[in-house]
Amino acid sequence: MSHPQRAAAFTSDAERTTWHDETLWFVRQKRDKAVYAIPEFQELRQLASDIKEHTLSRLDEYLEQFEQNARANGVQVHWAADAEEHNRIVLDIMRGVGATSLVKSKSMLTEECHLNPYLIKNGIAVVDTDLGERIVQLREEAPSHLVLPAIHLKKEDVGETFHVHLGTPKGEKDPQNLTEAARRHLREKFLIGQVAITGVNFAIAETGAVVVCTNEGNADLGVNLAQVHIACMGMEKLIPRTADLGVFTRLLARSATGQPVTTYTSHFAKPAEGRQMHIVIVDNGRTRQLGRPDFRNSLKCIRCGACMNTCPVYRRSGGHSYDFTVPGPIGAILSPNIDMRQHSSLPFASTLCGSCTDVCPVKIDIHAQLYKWRQIIAQEGELPVSKKLGMKLLSSVLARPAIYRFGGKIAREGLRFLPHALTHATAFNPWAKARELPEAPKQSFRDWYQQTVK
Amino acid sequence: MPSRESILAAVRANRPAATPLPPVADFAGEATVEQFTHWLHFIGGQVIRLAPAQPLDQVVRQLYPDATRIASDLIPATVPVDQQTPTEVLEAVDVAVLRGELGVAENGAVWVPEVNMLHRALPMISQHLALVLDHRSIVATMHQAYAAVQHTGNYGVFIAGPSKTADIEQSLVIGAHGARSLVVLLR
Amino acid sequence: MKVGLFIPCYVDQFYPQVGIATYQLLEKLGVRADFPVKQTCCGQPMANTGCEQDAKPVYRHFVDTFQGYDYVVAPSGSCVYHVRKHYDVVEQTGAVQHVRQATYDLFDFITSVLGVTELPGRFPHQVGLHLSCHGQRGLHQANESEMTPVRDGQLSRLLRSLDGLTLTELSRNDECCGFGGTFCITEEAVSARMGQDRVQDHLQHGTQVLTGGDMSCLMHLQGIVRRRQLPMRVLHAVEIFNVALQPSGTSVSTFVPQSTTAERV
Ligand code: SF4
Repeated sequence: MSHPQRAAAFTSDAERTTWHDETLWFVRQKRDKAVYAIPEFQELRQLASDIKEHTLSRLDEYLEQFEQNARANGVQVHWAADAEEHNRIVLDIMRGVGATSLVKSKSMLTEECHLNPYLIKNGIAVVDTDLGERIVQLREEAPSHLVLPAIHLKKEDVGETFHVHLGTPKGEKDPQNLTEAARRHLREKFLIGQVAITGVNFAIAETGAVVVCTNEGNADLGVNLAQVHIACMGMEKLIPRTADLGVFTRLLARSATGQPVTTYTSHFAKPAEGRQMHIVIVDNGRTRQLGRPDFRNSLKCIRCGACMNTCPVYRRSGGHSYDFTVPGPIGAILSPNIDMRQHSSLPFASTLCGSCTDVCPVKIDIHAQLYKWRQIIAQEGELPVSKKLGMKLLSSVLARPAIYRFGGKIAREGLRFLPHALTHATAFNPWAKARELPEAPKQSFRDWYQQTVK
Repeated sequence: MPSRESILAAVRANRPAATPLPPVADFAGEATVEQFTHWLHFIGGQVIRLAPAQPLDQVVRQLYPDATRIASDLIPATVPVDQQTPTEVLEAVDVAVLRGELGVAENGAVWVPEVNMLHRALPMISQHLALVLDHRSIVATMHQAYAAVQHTGNYGVFIAGPSKTADIEQSLVIGAHGARSLVVLLR
Repeated sequence: MKVGLFIPCYVDQFYPQVGIATYQLLEKLGVRADFPVKQTCCGQPMANTGCEQDAKPVYRHFVDTFQGYDYVVAPSGSCVYHVRKHYDVVEQTGAVQHVRQATYDLFDFITSVLGVTELPGRFPHQVGLHLSCHGQRGLHQANESEMTPVRDGQLSRLLRSLDGLTLTELSRNDECCGFGGTFCITEEAVSARMGQDRVQDHLQHGTQVLTGGDMSCLMHLQGIVRRRQLPMRVLHAVEIFNVALQPSGTSVSTFVPQSTTAERV
C-alpha cells in the first residue's frame, strides 16, 4: 500500500479526520504563541542550525571526544552499525546482569530498530512507560507521532484498551482517571524494572553526559530505580558544549507543544554508586545520509514533531499513513534513505507548501528535500510508469509551442463539448470526485491577444 | 572491522566541509521573581514567598497537613533518605522538601543537582515536591542557567512544574509518573 | 521598460479572463506588456513530479522566449517561484540568470518594481484572500504565521486599499489549499479534504468573493465551491483590481453575483 491509499482510508472517516486535524492544529497554535513570545526565536533557530551544521562537519571528532569523556565517567560505550547490532548489544547487556525485565522511556531509535519485538522474542519483559507509548504498546500498534504517540486515538479508544488490559471500569473515558490508572499500573513496573532504557535528546561531547527531556518523569523514575541504565542514541544527537543546551532547550519544547520547557530536563553523566550506565551509539543509515549533500541536514532533526503538527497532509492522513517509524514531513525525507522503493510515495505526500521548513527549530529545508527526493525517485525508476510517460509526453509538448497550442485547444474544446458525465467520470478523473472542472471558455488568452492587441 | 572503527571511518569519509562553531549564545531577559512566578503558574506549579523569619517546617506542615512521610534535609524529616534507601521506602514518601540551586525566569524551571536529591529517584517518586529556592538565584533564561551550572555534574535535572501528560486526546493531566504537585518556596 | 507577460498554460486555456485582466491592469498602470506567443509553460508540473530532467528543454524554451525582456510578469506566484528557485539545474548562462532575476509575480511587480502599494477603485464586497504558499512562503510576499502573528502582505495591502472592500478574517490565515500540482490527483483524498476545509473557513467567516494571486489554488478551490454550489464567487485578484479600476460608470455590482448556484451542476 502506498501513502495515498492509506490516507484515503483515514480521510474516509470525515469526523475523525476533522478531530485529528483540529487537535494537532491546536498544538501548532500553542507552538505559535510560545514562539511569538520570544523575540530572538528566529536567531535561536539559526544558531541551532549552525551548531548542528558544525557538529556534523566534525562528527567523528565529537563522537570520539564524547566517548572518551563518557568512559572517564564510568559509562560503558557501545557502537552499533545497524539495528540488528543495536538490539544484540542491548540483549547482551541484559543477559550480562541476568535481567529479564525492562522499563523503557520514549526512544524513537529503539522503535526504528524494532527493539521490543526482538527482546520479547528473547524472553525479556518490556514495558514502555511513556503514557502514550504504553497505550500503543498495549494495543500492539506503532506510535503515530514523534511526541504524541497516541494522537490517533480518542479517549474512548484508550478507555477500552485500559478496560481490557488494566481493568478500568467499562466505559471509563475520563483522561484524568485513565492517567491515574496508568500511573498506578506503571509504578508497579518501575519498582521491579531491573534495567531502564532511555532515548537521548542531546549528547554533550565535552562532558560525556546525555540529556533526556520528558514531561512525565518516566525516564528519571525508570533509570533511578533500576540497576542498569542503557541510553540508546543515534549518532546525530551530539552537540559540542553544555552551553549549547541553552539554545536547544529553549527551542525544543516550545516547538513541540508550546511549553516553555519540558518538565524534566535530565542530565545523566555518571551512574549512581554500585549501578551501571551504558550508552549505545547507533549508525543505522546515518553515515549514508551524512554522505548525501542534499539530504544530510535532515540529521539536524531534534524530533520535536513541529513539522507534523503543522503539516496539512499529516493532520489529515494520520501518522500511520506514512508506515515509517518517523511519520510526517521529516519521515518523508528520512525514509527514502532507508528504503527508497518501499517509501517511494512519501516524498509525494506533500503539496510542498513549505510550512514544515518554517516551523523547524533547526531550519531543515524539509520541503526542498522532498522536491529533491522526487527527482531521485524518478531517476531511479521508482515512479509509476504512467506518471513517467505522461511527464515525458508533457515535456515534449511544452517544448514545442505549435503542438502545445494545438493540444491546449483540444483539451479546452473537449471540455466544452463533451458531456459533463464523461469529463467528470471519477474512474478516469480523480479530480472530479470532489471538484468540478473549470468551465472551458470559447477563446484562449492567446487568441484574444492576437485578435485584440496585435 | 569493529563497528566503532567502521562508523568513524564512514563519518570521516562523508562529513561535510568544516563550518565554524558559533560562539556561546547569550540573550538578555528578565531575571525577575515576577517572570519566574508567572511561568511556574503557567506550567502548573505554585510559588510561595517566605517571610525572612518564617520557619520552613511550619510552612511545610501548613501546605501538606495530611503528609505523614516527609523526606528532607532542610527540615526535620519523618523518613530518612539517602543513596541506599530501598525503593519500597522511597515509594511511600508523601512529600520531599529539597533545595533548588537556581531558578529560570523564562520557564519556571529549577535546577536540582544530585547532591540536593538525597536519592536520585526522590524528586520523581515522591507524591509531592517542594523546592526551596533563594530568590537571588533566579536567572533570566536557559543561557544564563547553563552558564551558572557549568558542567552538569553526575546527574542533575531542571524540574519545571509537576509531572504531566497530555497523551490522551491532548487533555492536560497533572501527575503522570512523577510528583503530583510542585511548590517553589522562595526565600 | 520592456515587460513580457507570462500567462501560465492552464490560465491561457481555461482562465483567459485572468490573462486579459493582467494585461489590462498593467496597461492602466502605464505598462504596455508584450505577450510572446511562443511561450508554453515554466516546467513546474514535470519537475514537481520528479521529472526535472525531462523539464530542462522546457526551461530552456522559457528562457529563450523571455530573455529579451527587462521584466517577465506572471499572474502566478507558483510559476515565478519555480523559475527563480528551480532553474538552477540548467547551465547558468547570462540569459538564464537574467530571466531568473527578472521574473516577477504580478503583485510583487506592482508593489516592488512599480512602487504602487495602493490602488484607487471600489469593490464593495467581503473578500477572502487565499495566500498561495509559493507566493507567501516561497517568495515572501506575505508574512507567515509560522514566524509572526502580524497578518500582512503585498496583496492584502493592495486589496485593503480598495474602497468598500472588507477582508475576511480567517481562522487559519495561511493554510495550504491542497492543490499541490499533481498532488491534487495522486493524493486526491487529502487534496480534496484540504480544499474543503479551506473553503469552509471562508464560508464560516463570510467570504463573498474568494480571491488570491495564484489561479492554480483558485482552480482547485473553485472546483469545490462549484461542486458544493456555495454562494461564493472565485476570482483571481487581478480580476478584482481590473474591474475596480474600471473607468467610472461601469457598475461593479453586476460583476459579483450573490450566488453562483445557477452554474452548471
Ligand atoms: S524536522 Fe524539524 S520540525 Fe520536524 S521533528 Fe525534526 S526538528 Fe522538529
